[in-house]
Amino acid sequence: MMEITICGRGGQGGVTLAKIIASAYFLKGKYVQAFGVYAAERSGAPLQAFVRVDDEEITNHNQVEHPDHIVVLDRTLIAAGMDASMKPGGFIIINTPADKTGFEEHFSGRKVATVDATSIAVAHGLGTRTVPIVNTVMAGSIARVLGLTLTEILAALEHLNFTGVNKTCAREAYTLVATRSLPGEIHRPSMPPAKVRVADLFDEDVGGMPKIKTGSWATEKPERRRLTPPCNHVCPAGNDVRGFIDAVGKQEYDRALSVLLQTSPLPAVCGRVCPAPCMDTCNRAEFDQSVNVREIERAAADLGVRPAPVRAWRDAAVAVVGSGPAGLSTAYQLARLGYPVTLFEAGDELGGVLRTGIPAYRLPREVLDREIGYILSHDISVRTGQVLTRADMLTLSREFQAVFVATGLQHVSDLDLGDQAGVTPLQGLHFLEQVRQGNMRLTGQRVVVIGGGNTAMDAARSALRIGAREVRVLYRRTRSEMPAIFEEVEQALEEGIILDELVAPVSLQDSGNGPVLTCQGMKLGPPDASGRPRPIADTNPEARFELACDLVILALGQSHDISILPEGSEIKEGEALLGLSGAPLFVGGDFATNAGTVAAAIGCGLRAARHIHRTLTGEDLFPPAEEPVATPAQIRFQRFEHQPPEAVRTLSPAVRRRCFDEVHLGFQAGPGGAGAVAEAQRCLSCGVCNRCDRCLEYCPEGILRRSDGEDGYVFDLEYCKGCGVCMTACPRGAIYMAQL
Amino acid sequence: MSAVTPSKPYETHLLRPGNTNCAGCGMSIGLQWLDEALGDEKPVLVIPSCCGIVTAGAFPTSGYGVPTAATTFASSPAVATGISAVAAMNGIDNPVICWAGDGGSYDIGLATLSAAAERNEDIIYICYDNEIYGNTGGQRSGATPVGAVTSTTPEGKTERKKDLMAIMAAHRIPYAATLSIGHREDFLRKIRYARSVKGFRFLVMLSPCPTGWKSEPDQSTELIELAVRCGLFPLYEIFDGRRYRINQRPDNTSIEPYIRQQRRFSQVWNNTGALQAFIDAQWQYLDGMATVFPAKEKPPLPK
Amino acid sequence: MGRTLATGNHVAGHTLALAGEANRNARGCCAGAYPITPQTEIIEFLSAFRFNKGRVVLVESEHSAMAVCIGAALAGARTFTASSSNGLAYMTENIFAAGYYRLPTVMIAVNRTLGPPWNIWVDQGDSLMMRDAAWLQFYCDSHQDLADTILLAFRVAEDHRVMLPVIVAMDGFVTSHTQMVVDLPTQEQVDALLPPCNIPHRLKHAHPATFGGMTFSNETEHHRYAIQHSMEQVFPVLEEARDEFENIFGRRPAGVLEAFDTEDAEIVLVACNTMARTLHNVVRERRARGEKIGMIRQKLFRPFPREQFLAAIGAAKKIAVLDRNHSPGSGGIFWQEIATTLRQRPDVLLQDYLVGLGGGDVTPDNINAIIDDLNQRQASSPPEWKDTSQ
Repeated sequence: MMEITICGRGGQGGVTLAKIIASAYFLKGKYVQAFGVYAAERSGAPLQAFVRVDDEEITNHNQVEHPDHIVVLDRTLIAAGMDASMKPGGFIIINTPADKTGFEEHFSGRKVATVDATSIAVAHGLGTRTVPIVNTVMAGSIARVLGLTLTEILAALEHLNFTGVNKTCAREAYTLVATRSLPGEIHRPSMPPAKVRVADLFDEDVGGMPKIKTGSWATEKPERRRLTPPCNHVCPAGNDVRGFIDAVGKQEYDRALSVLLQTSPLPAVCGRVCPAPCMDTCNRAEFDQSVNVREIERAAADLGVRPAPVRAWRDAAVAVVGSGPAGLSTAYQLARLGYPVTLFEAGDELGGVLRTGIPAYRLPREVLDREIGYILSHDISVRTGQVLTRADMLTLSREFQAVFVATGLQHVSDLDLGDQAGVTPLQGLHFLEQVRQGNMRLTGQRVVVIGGGNTAMDAARSALRIGAREVRVLYRRTRSEMPAIFEEVEQALEEGIILDELVAPVSLQDSGNGPVLTCQGMKLGPPDASGRPRPIADTNPEARFELACDLVILALGQSHDISILPEGSEIKEGEALLGLSGAPLFVGGDFATNAGTVAAAIGCGLRAARHIHRTLTGEDLFPPAEEPVATPAQIRFQRFEHQPPEAVRTLSPAVRRRCFDEVHLGFQAGPGGAGAVAEAQRCLSCGVCNRCDRCLEYCPEGILRRSDGEDGYVFDLEYCKGCGVCMTACPRGAIYMAQL
Repeated sequence: MSAVTPSKPYETHLLRPGNTNCAGCGMSIGLQWLDEALGDEKPVLVIPSCCGIVTAGAFPTSGYGVPTAATTFASSPAVATGISAVAAMNGIDNPVICWAGDGGSYDIGLATLSAAAERNEDIIYICYDNEIYGNTGGQRSGATPVGAVTSTTPEGKTERKKDLMAIMAAHRIPYAATLSIGHREDFLRKIRYARSVKGFRFLVMLSPCPTGWKSEPDQSTELIELAVRCGLFPLYEIFDGRRYRINQRPDNTSIEPYIRQQRRFSQVWNNTGALQAFIDAQWQYLDGMATVFPAKEKPPLPK
Repeated sequence: MGRTLATGNHVAGHTLALAGEANRNARGCCAGAYPITPQTEIIEFLSAFRFNKGRVVLVESEHSAMAVCIGAALAGARTFTASSSNGLAYMTENIFAAGYYRLPTVMIAVNRTLGPPWNIWVDQGDSLMMRDAAWLQFYCDSHQDLADTILLAFRVAEDHRVMLPVIVAMDGFVTSHTQMVVDLPTQEQVDALLPPCNIPHRLKHAHPATFGGMTFSNETEHHRYAIQHSMEQVFPVLEEARDEFENIFGRRPAGVLEAFDTEDAEIVLVACNTMARTLHNVVRERRARGEKIGMIRQKLFRPFPREQFLAAIGAAKKIAVLDRNHSPGSGGIFWQEIATTLRQRPDVLLQDYLVGLGGGDVTPDNINAIIDDLNQRQASSPPEWKDTSQ
């Protein structure tokens, strides 16, 4: 007689497998017996099934005690002593992936046969993902080991009405099963007989906790993960956008500000002027509308209290040349790391383009002063009014242990407009500086601004405010190609500025009645190097026209002046400078990258500080590789209610076009930030647990607890059945199920 | 080391870890929320032969952290009556809750359920309806929807699902309501409301059985949300058997995502007519009742 | 109450109610009740009774009636009910449940023939059908025996050494609907006899547990063994109960059986209920004529008192069992039990007589014929059918 014990879990089809094997021998004329140990039908619970085969009628109805072979349908059932009563000479046939071992030590001295039946079953769709049905697959591997032919096992499947894919799977397993003998001696562990305590009906001990640790049933376990929210991913400054929004949502402005100040010393600035690529990538836009990140950053900066500055304690001193956003950012980060910093500025005031290039109605002076004031509260010495030369740079590289250069874009692009008829076009940045100093007033002139970037918008809107009668902006492509922030253009148009799209200036001459700008109408052609459509002159004769004007302002872009750098220098990777004796010299900001935004400059500054620190000490403070970005596919939008963004207040065009008062007034709701809080609570916290408790509420086993650690929650894997409801309950993709 | 907030001890959970329910069992989620809704009030559970008593496990341990009486299949409302009667005469206020499957409620136990309702016994009766006789391997019950494949209806059930809410309403009991494990706030509110009134209270929750429905365990709550949204499982309350309040109307979600994720509906996948007709008729009736007999004033929410 | 004229049903209702009331200072009493001929007056009495702390729940079926008793007992109250015939059959599942649950419910079985075909008259088959359900079974021959036995039943059932439910059976119509003189107990007497009902395994919030959940073979074996052990304790506990009863009521109620003139009897006849009273009259008459004849009224059927029975038959050589019941494919049920008991007495000729099945009136003539038949027997034969219409 041959006896086989099958060890499996409810739902894997163990009892049916016994019948399949029995059928194979039945069809060969043998006497057979197949049965399972019956209890309540429970998916995942361990169970056993038995097969007997004999040439004579079988009268033994006991459970099999000493099997010739053991079949293991689920490798997590393997435990020491499992084969203790198995007769020598047979096989242990195991469903296991090839790369998983660990059972050898339990089955020393035995012959084992292995096949990855689960993969075959899953690939052919047998059962569910959580409980694949492996019986027909295993039938193939068992048949091979027992010496049945493929035909015989397929006949058995046919006999039990298993067709098609089941036969395919059995055939695959028949082919793929691998056998080997394990070294060593067969274990004969002495197992003391299990003592079963039977409680009396009236026993005070009844009613205790169940004994089964149901964690052993699971084929998967929940893992927490932290995806990168798209806003974090795209922020040029590397801000933890989600992080500070989360804090504002909880009305913790100080904490929000602290989060921001890790990466950026200029939140009040960015909260006013950043083009906010984060808002363009916000996943909430797939649901209703983006979160208004910029306004929340502004609120955090305006309402939070800044922590006390770190005092310098290191010996190495660093020189930072240029006090624009990149220089300020580098100086701040190095000071936080404990380095004494000396900040050099060619002009009389700190801030670079923040001060000279952004008008007060976008960035009030007192806001900028406050930001810079906080930066300077660190151990940073300032030397203004110093235009450094190449020779000065060499001196610096001897006096300091590291030097960082971020002098911005000193060259402005010019345009030849002919003899200019006595009307000298002004450079936009120069114009803005004059306005800032209070040296520029207009009395009803007609102003034409040429360009499509933020400087052009700033110049146009400033001209209006200082008294221009009419302001026109000429741009050679269309509005969609304009690099200026969309909102800036919108507000400019609201203020009555006229946008002439597809117009390029040709020449400025005197008409006899005053200056006249000859203009050329343009058309859009195929893309140029910048990827935008190339503007082509419209050959239609009516496309050329004349524009009377009193003042022309050029805002055509800028470029850097690297004459300050030592001879033979090259900027590599946009940031670092290599191949120099003396102190290491780094470059950053627009000077190095021409990225053109405050946020990018701030990001440069942080990276520069880390480069410098690593060069000086060897310590690497760069963050590890980013986790994958959370996409809308990971967000369960149906969990959320539609909610439009909080209303924000702006000065009306009629009021603001004649003054330099700040245009944006922040959220409508609130003193003390109620609007910011409400808007922050619209954040979905993509890919990052925000302790909403949903996983804890939905767990069918009640085995989650809150933790104040990073993970937010702890799973009790002793009891977790691996159902995955927590993964589905999480609205933001912070949980996934990993194979055990 | 980070600090972990200790959960209340596992022994005191209504449904204790280590229970043998399948992974993703709808009943388990229902019991967790029942526990949450009742708070410190510990019920006596009265459970007939069904999956719910297998949950309790083998003597002498117990999968439930509250006193639990196992009854014969049809008997739970009568046993609960006895317990409730003695509790009342001894001034004990702990709720007596029947926790029964659809077999014991729609079929074999219907007479017992009806009589207890007719006597307006002070009992909360909760039916976790997995639309099959789950404990015996998934045979059809009176609650099985039309078209569903079960182990005794391999071609799909030809009869429609019995309307037990209407039957219970006909007894004019103080409160009857449907519960959804896809709608947590609604679920908790209804339990708390039931607890705040006296007399016979009947609640029925659609309970996914991944084993019997041949669905993925991790979709259990999503499936019920879909069932509510497509109109198959209406979320509503009936007060005094006469006044109707609909908690959520169907929102044009198709029946497809719901039935496509359950292989028990394989006969319906390309043949949704009968099931859709059932939904339409059901809502015609409910909309009618809610229009003619609305529950006007919101009953006060308990503290 | 004292000396009263009452029907058997009235006696049962009265005594049950007093027993229930006696628990008014503990957790009270509760009954699930459903009517069936010939028991209806019992539940009508109970429905009208004003309990201080009790409730009679009028359910929709006998199955639920026992379920209510189970629930109430699990909650710690004293419980009781009554049924007959097909009502008992419908109740069967929960009768077994109450037994295996070890709940001390007292049930009055007003013995009536099982159907279909429908037959409302007396036959012990309905209560005997429950002999495997872990219940005690007492068979009462008179109104007084009934009143006394109901009180003994509560006292024995609720004793922690026993803690099993009890059937107290009486003959349908012949006892239940017949008015006789009987000494009914007073509330004071019942209060004195019955201590408060205290069920150790009732549901407790202080110590939550599941009752009646699953077990494997090992636990079940122990459980059944424990029940058997408790059955064996019935004998000493019943004796204590009789002593206490005698102290309060001034008379000693019958115990497990009543033997008359068996000490020197050559033949002994065995019967229960009212048929035993008819048998007693016949035996007395024939004794007076010099026949060495005796009888046993079998009162306790579960647990079956083997030792006491063997002691009671003395040296008799022929035993006749009068069974107003029948197990098809075998014979009378009392006969089967007695046959097992007599394996220690292979010298005894044991003969089963099936008489009065379906409620036939068993007269002295019928019994005389049986005795004559027994006297001339040399050997036993398969159960003899004695048609009462002859």
